[in-house]
Amino acid sequence: MSEPSAVAGQAASGPTLAEELARLEEIVRRLEADDLDLDGALALFEQGVACLRSARERLSAAEVRVRTVLEDANGTLRLGKLDG
Amino acid sequence: MTLPLPLSSALAGDEVLSIRDLTASLKRVVDGSYGPLWVRGEVLQCRAPSSGHWYFVLRDAAAQVRCTMWRTYAERAGRPPVDGTEVFALGRPDVYESKGELQFMVTRMLPTSMVGDQQRALEQVKAALDRDGLFDQARKRPLPAYPARVAVVTSTDGAALSDIITVARTRWPSVRLFVLASKVQGDGATAELVAALRRVNRLDVQLCIVGRGGGAREDLAAFNDEAVCRALAAVRVPTVSAVGHETDVTLADLVADVRAATPSAAAELALPDVRAVRRLVGDLGARLAGGLSRRTRLASERLERTGDRMEAAMEVVIARRRQTADRLGAKLDALSPLRVLERGYAVPLNAAGRVLRRRADFHPGDSFTLRVTDGDVAARAE
Repeated sequence: MSEPSAVAGQAASGPTLAEELARLEEIVRRLEADDLDLDGALALFEQGVACLRSARERLSAAEVRVRTVLEDANGTLRLGKLDG
Repeated sequence: MTLPLPLSSALAGDEVLSIRDLTASLKRVVDGSYGPLWVRGEVLQCRAPSSGHWYFVLRDAAAQVRCTMWRTYAERAGRPPVDGTEVFALGRPDVYESKGELQFMVTRMLPTSMVGDQQRALEQVKAALDRDGLFDQARKRPLPAYPARVAVVTSTDGAALSDIITVARTRWPSVRLFVLASKVQGDGATAELVAALRRVNRLDVQLCIVGRGGGAREDLAAFNDEAVCRALAAVRVPTVSAVGHETDVTLADLVADVRAATPSAAAELALPDVRAVRRLVGDLGARLAGGLSRRTRLASERLERTGDRMEAAMEVVIARRRQTADRLGAKLDALSPLRVLERGYAVPLNAAGRVLRRRADFHPGDSFTLRVTDGDVAARAE
């Protein structure tokens, strides 16, 4: 079983959970500050809800995924299951 | 012959212990007072019967203690020591109740000569790594707060990996673990660890845990190896060492960004608790909603204030209109026939209430009504 996304440089890079939570905190902070009109607040709120949803999805993963990393004869890294 | 007083008084009371109570109580005291500890001494009278357990005495210039090493530990230690060998022994003191004897239960034993050689080699490696700054606190990197992909360099045989997986399941189930299997002791362990650590740099991971389950001190050699330590220092992501050993710190522990006592502890340090993170996300969600509703409340308050101003403006307009109306009313009032009557005029009305305006409207003998300012007066035409 091969999952090349494990190898550096090939991963689909979206924001990490840390980045998402930092963004969410920034949004909340700005929403709690006073210098914002209603339209701006609504736009921020929508972005915040998107961050929130995405963070919740990440945290809902049910099972740890474990893969072994093997190197074949020509030096390519491959992923395998833990038991063989 | 008389008995000394203290004894007779003791016999009269209830302070007499059985021997069993005495040795049991001694055992409790000893068990409760000592954890595992290292002692140094010379081996004497070593017996290694077919049961596999070893019995010997350890002594120094001033004292001696009986020692027992159970088969499980004796097997790991290799051959029984020759009498006269000076050793370091790890164990804990114990009271052998049925014989009323104090003994030292040994779990590990190393000849001091061997330790001396190893120690010298270790110091040399340590000095070299230190010179190159591999132990500097300044190069310690913080661990990522929410690692999604973690490399684990360890043996797939030992408990280390399953311990890490178990902790990950409860703490941080969204994590992906990439296991780089390597021998962690014995021939080839050093080369395998170096290769595995180098492979970590080719993976898209945010953190690397390297370690093994508990092992004897001599089993930790690979984690004191210079090449392994340098490969660990070259890992591009933060590293956590987990060389499970209760008393020893390896050089790899000193090189790693964070040292954990065991693989489970490493996983606990490296992985956040999903429940805490869910709480954090929940709090942020609540603040987000709170922030918006506060914002809309402000807007509606502003709207209300605007409404209030409009109302006030309306009132001014209405008041002005009312004044105008009052003025017009006054004018109308002046034109009112009642006012005319007030000035002394009277209005003749016939029985039907019609105003009699001309001479022709009056016929002699007709009754009519004269309306004056404060009422009607009956009248007749002549």
